[in-house]
This record gives sequence, structure tokens and C-alpha cells, in this order.
Amino acid sequence: MTKRDILRVAKEREVRLIRLSFVDILGISKNVTIPFSELERALEGKVTFDGGSIDGFVRGEEADMMLLPDLATFSVYPWTIGSGAVEARLICDIATPDGEAFEGCPRTTLRRAIEDARDVLAGARAGLEVEFYLFELTADGLPTTTTSDVGSYFDIDESDRGEAARIEIATTLEAMGLSVASAHHEHGAGQHEIDLNDAAILNTADGLITTRTVAKHVAARHRLHATFMPKPLETLAGSGVHVYFTLAPATDAPADGAGELAEETLFAIGGLLEHAPAFTAVCNPTVNSYKRLVAAWDAPIYTVWSYRSANSLVRVPSPAGQRIEVRSADPSCNPYLALAVLVASIAHGMRSHILPGDPLMGSTYELNDRERETRRIRMLPKSLRQALGELDKDPIVRGALGDHVYHAFRDAKLAEYERYRRAVHPWEREAYLRVY
Amino acid sequence: MTPAAKIASSGEALIQFAEGLARIASSGGGAKALATHLASAFDAAVLIEDGDWRHVTLAGAGSRPVPPSCRESIANAAPDTDGVVRLSSPGEACDGIAVRIRGGEASLGWLSVFPNADATEPANGALRLAAATIAVELSRDAGGGKSRRKSFWDRLLSRTYDDPIEAKDDASSRGIALATGYVAVAIEAEGLDESSAATKLADLRRIALETLRSGSGEIVVLERGGGFVFLCPAPLEIDAQNVRTAATLIPRAATKAHFGAKVVGGVGRAAEAISAYRTVDEARESMFVTRRLFGGSRVMPYDDLGIYPLLLRGGASAEELRAFGKRILAPLRAYDEKHQTELVRTLGLYFQVGQNVKTAAAELSVHRHTVFYRLRQIAEISGHDLDSAHDQLTLRTAMAIDALNSH
Repeated sequence: MTKRDILRVAKEREVRLIRLSFVDILGISKNVTIPFSELERALEGKVTFDGGSIDGFVRGEEADMMLLPDLATFSVYPWTIGSGAVEARLICDIATPDGEAFEGCPRTTLRRAIEDARDVLAGARAGLEVEFYLFELTADGLPTTTTSDVGSYFDIDESDRGEAARIEIATTLEAMGLSVASAHHEHGAGQHEIDLNDAAILNTADGLITTRTVAKHVAARHRLHATFMPKPLETLAGSGVHVYFTLAPATDAPADGAGELAEETLFAIGGLLEHAPAFTAVCNPTVNSYKRLVAAWDAPIYTVWSYRSANSLVRVPSPAGQRIEVRSADPSCNPYLALAVLVASIAHGMRSHILPGDPLMGSTYELNDRERETRRIRMLPKSLRQALGELDKDPIVRGALGDHVYHAFRDAKLAEYERYRRAVHPWEREAYLRVY
Repeated sequence: MTPAAKIASSGEALIQFAEGLARIASSGGGAKALATHLASAFDAAVLIEDGDWRHVTLAGAGSRPVPPSCRESIANAAPDTDGVVRLSSPGEACDGIAVRIRGGEASLGWLSVFPNADATEPANGALRLAAATIAVELSRDAGGGKSRRKSFWDRLLSRTYDDPIEAKDDASSRGIALATGYVAVAIEAEGLDESSAATKLADLRRIALETLRSGSGEIVVLERGGGFVFLCPAPLEIDAQNVRTAATLIPRAATKAHFGAKVVGGVGRAAEAISAYRTVDEARESMFVTRRLFGGSRVMPYDDLGIYPLLLRGGASAEELRAFGKRILAPLRAYDEKHQTELVRTLGLYFQVGQNVKTAAAELSVHRHTVFYRLRQIAEISGHDLDSAHDQLTLRTAMAIDALNSH
């Protein structure tokens, strides 16, 4: 879309407000709302905001930041059509006052990672499977962790509000220009999944942000709360984000008898397994994320790949080809940073010709110590603190984030972990209060 | 007549003795193998020391006391006209003779022989012949690091070492960090034009090394026949897996590099360093089988060739056959045991009824879809394609061996 196209469409559809959207280091959506009259100025990249008050942007001398809209992301919020106050959004990159790309901008970080990997990943695309829960609201409109839904995988219950909400989320995403591959009930009661088709990697990261936003809006209209918290309930499956990478097809015909996977695919898998402990902090960035990464509900816990095992970290879905599924990330991640570290890991594997060993058959949960040792299989970090330690040690993953984002992310996450460590949790009171 | 006496008295025996020395030297047996040969031929203890009086090897000593070095005895004795020195150490039962090992004008060391009680003293001519052969070995070792290293691998592959620690120590003294395990990859190019063969082989060596490059240590390159054997360090199972995968990618890398000729190769199974000869043999056998039976430009691992390597050898011992059957069926048996399934039984029955799914289903009292499902599982778990004639032969043979050996 050109600037002129956007102005015309906004006028035709009587858009009154435009949300200039961006995310902070933690992946939380932020926006600056402008009236239609300011749209032209916004499209010129002349709208500023106070970056000093945003997590991870804190650098006094750069407090004034500029919002540079990505014109391709213009979209009208379908739920506002006919409301009398139609809203649209534009996803923005952040720039310094002198127009330079801001190194603390997550979207810019992903752009840079994609650019850096162009030599090996040109034409690569990514898709997502996003899991989330829809819970009831209290009479006061506060979220709960209860659901009237009793369904499981692929169930249909048309009387369930969750079902209706999920369908509306999918149709809303389609109306906003996203390509939805499918939507279905997931394993847990109240748990749902939306699958987005392959798109350019940057657009896929935008897609997760949009999905989270839309799900929350639509759920609220159904008097439900959509949560992308990785593990809201101990007894139910956690919510993950499975990222599918489609590598560009190999240009050379394989020689006779060569393995069914292209060597580039094997190297990409090798890179992912090599850097998995380090990218976990970014792909699983909350203390709650590590309650999902346990040996249950097919969550990955080891650096293992396979064709069919549902709990491997990396899977090559059939038909085997250039598609790779990374299964560890969760929807609390900042998708720009998560995709940046995944792209950098894949690129490193391809450049360094890292082979991943043979694929594993069966469940990874049954691996014994000897098998793990002889196959050099590592366990994913068990806590956010451990994950940050692994991130510190990996120059490739740190390099993908860049110094500014790495330090801001690390500081924020260490503080979060420290708050969690100091908190006294209900489990502790239940276990110890009477005993001691 | 003792062997030494026979060598001394018969021209034919001396020729046979010389041929024996040449055979060992040409196969890269090294000083140790030569010393062992001499100890047997002369019925004596044989000590070899280098020009700096460093111990090279000792053979045939048994419980006989032999001095750690003959430096002092030789220094105290006067050489006779043939350069042979008579040794005696008062008070010790170590009377013997020594001969200088010469490389041209240079002195490369000493060969000392201590005949057993009833043995005849070897003739000077036989001793000098032996010393000349040892000189070739020591010259090779003294010819710089590269030569010393090559000599080590030649020795390792000619099964010179009996003890892994001895092999490791020898490797270490030559600046080689011996890995605990190795996987060999044999590669040859087919249809090379004679005029450009040398250049092409250099290209093939480079392409293969780039494809096999490993994080686990130095890859040893050995020239064998019209191609190469790459001995790749594989300390862990995953390293062996990655060598196999990388090796199968070599033809593709050659195509990408516009190599312009067919590349055929084989990959051996992982072996401990001291048994590296086994993986080399397997790699070469796999290459041969691949060329003869599969065609095209490809590299195939030994494990993927089923029964063919055993057929290539012209048969196998009962133990080898049992091991083969066990190895092929092991994944299916493990799965059956763990999941209480009947994959091995289903496979046997499927073959027994001429691969007729309907009949197999009736025999097993299951629906034919169940048989199809099990056959897919069998293919996936065993890694054998039931539609491939080669894989069928392997599975059928393994089933037959299993049936013949079941109690």
C-alpha cells in the first residue's frame, strides 16, 4: 500500500482513530493513537513519543522517539466498523530523532537478523501455531482460570462460547489480512489454537502480535478472557507457539541416494539444536514459561529432532522437505526477538554446516542418561535464571539481539526472576505452613 | 636346523627371509612388526633403538632380561669389518650382536639381537638385510612430522598395536591426538580422464574434506587405490551419525562444485581407534557393493547395505551371521518388547505368505488395515523399505537367520 492508498481507504471507511502500534522489549503491545487528521503526518514518520517511559527503551538522551509506520501493516479493526469510531492500526518501527533506526526496537532487531541471514536464508518464510486459553470473567469483569468448556483436541461444541469466540478470532484475523490456516480446540479444557500460514518472517512476527490483540478483544466481546500465559493451570497442558520455517528450495538436484532432507535443512536443524539452550530465554521469557517446559503434554525438554515425535524440540513434518517446526517457544515471547534468535541460529547452522545427528524415534521423555550423553543431547533450561545464564554464554544468540536489546532484556528478566524468587507462593504456604 | 641357521646356510631361505621383510615394510607394518618378524626368524630377543638411543621397540624378550639400552655395550665394543658388534654385559645373560642401522651415510640407530639359549647366532648378511629394511622405516619416521604421522596411521591400520594404550602413547609421541573412535569414509571418482586425473582427485579430496569437516578432531586422509579413505574422529554416537550423513552428502557437494564425474563411496561403522582397520575395511567393502549393486553417484553406509557386505566377503561365520540377524531385527524386537506389539511376528508372517496382506491379516486375525499399519511401523522402525528388493533381501535373510537360531 502507498501512503495515498492508505489515506484513501481510511477516508472511505470513515476511520477516525489510528493506532500507531509497536512493542517494548518484553513484547508488550504499545500504541500512540492519533486522529485521522494526523494520519498524513504519521505516514511521513513525523509522530514522536516519549521512549523514556517504555521498558527497555530507557536512555535519557534518546527519550524522544519517532514512529515509522510500515505501510504494509495498515488494517482497520473489524470490531470497530459501524461503531461510529472506526479504528485502524499501523505497526511501526522506532527511530531516533535524527531518523536512524533505534537499536532497541525489537522489530528493527528482527529486520537486522533477517538481513544478516540473507546469504543463507533468502526467501525463507515462517508460519505459526499459537495456543491460548479462553477463561470466564467474574461479574466484575476480572479474569478467572475457570471455563465451562470441557472439550479437548478438535472437539466441536457449538454451545460453548469459547468455540464461538475462536471462530470469530479466526475470521477477524482473516479480515485484517492475515492468512489463517486453521483454528481448533486444543488439548486442555478452554484451550484453543490458531494456525497462521507461511508469510515473510517479519510479517509472521507481526501476526503473533495481531493475534494476541484480536483474541483479547474478541474474547472480551464474548465475556471471556484470552490468555497467552504459557502455563495458567498446573493440571492442564501449557500453551506454546510452534514456529514453522520454510527454507527456500534447493536449486541443485540431489545426487543419487542422498538423504531425503536437503543438506540445508539438516544444517538449519543443527543450528537450532546447537543454540537452543541460549535462545530459550528469549523464546520462553517468563518464570511461568518453565512450568510448561516439563516432561508432560508433549512439551519439549531436550535438544532433539525427529520426524514424528510430538515432544521433540525440532520436528520435520511430513511430507519431509524444507519445512522445520520449532516447538519450544511460547506465546509470552516477544515474537520479533524470538524470530530473530531463531533465524540467527538457523543461519549459523547453515553457514557452519552443523549436522544434528540422526532423528530420534519415539518419545524423548524416555531417553536415558547414556543415550543423552552419546548423542550429546542437552536439556533445555529449567528456569528463567538458568536460561539467562545460557544466553550469556552464546555469542551468536546475543549477537542476534544486539548489545542494547541484550542488556535491556537481560536486566528486565533478571529483575523479574528476582521478584519471583522473593515472592512466597501459595504452594509454599500449603506445603510448609502447618508442617513447620 | 634352527631358522637362523637355515637362513645362514641356504640362499633360498635368505631370499624368503628378505621377502618377508619387504612384505612387512610395504604394508606399512613399521619397526615393531619388523622386530617381531626378526624375533621369530632368529629365535631371539630383538631391540631397536634410534640414532639418539631412544627406545623404538623390543620384541621376543619374553621373560629374558634385556638391557633397556645397548648404548654402553656398543660403546665399549669394537665393530668388526661388517659393522656388526658383539655385545656382552658381565654378570647378565644378555650376550648378543648389534648392527648399525644406516640411511645412506647417516646413522639412524641400532638393531640388537639376543639369541635364545639354543638358537644359532644370525648370520651377518641376514642382520644387515634386516637393518637396511628397518632403516627404511626409521627414515620414514625421521622424515618430518607429516611422515611420522603417516607412518603411525599405516601401523595402526596394519594392526601393529595390540594394546590401545601403546597405540595412544605412540600417537602422542608423534603429535597425534588419537580419538577414542573413528568412522572411515572411502571415496573414489569414476570415469576420470587420465590426463586430468591428478587434478580431479585433488578436487575430490578438497570437496570431501569440506563436507566431512568435523568439530571432533583432525580427519586423517589416506590414499588408497584410485581414491581416498577419510578416517573421521567419532568419539560419540552422534559424531558417527554426522559422519555418515556428511559422507552421503559428498556426491551432492561434488555436483554443486561441478566436479564432473561420478563419486562412489562407502562408510564403515564406528570403531575404537585400535580397531580402525575394521571401519576402513567396511568403508571399502561398502564402496565396492555400492558401485556394483546400486550404481549412480552415491555414498552408502555399511549399515544400510544389509547382507551384501557379508556376501562380498564370500561368506561369513555362524557368529557373524547371528550378529547380523540380531542387528537388523534389534530395533523391531526392542519396540515389540517395550510396547507389547508383534512387529517381528507380523514381518515373518508377511514374508511367509508371499507378501499377501490379506492372507497375513487372516493368519494374524486382524484387519488388513492393521497389517498395513504394522508394515509402515516396521519400515520406519527398522529403517528398511519393504518395497525395495535390496531391503527385502536383508530383512528376509535376517528373519531366516533368526529362525535357524531360535530355540
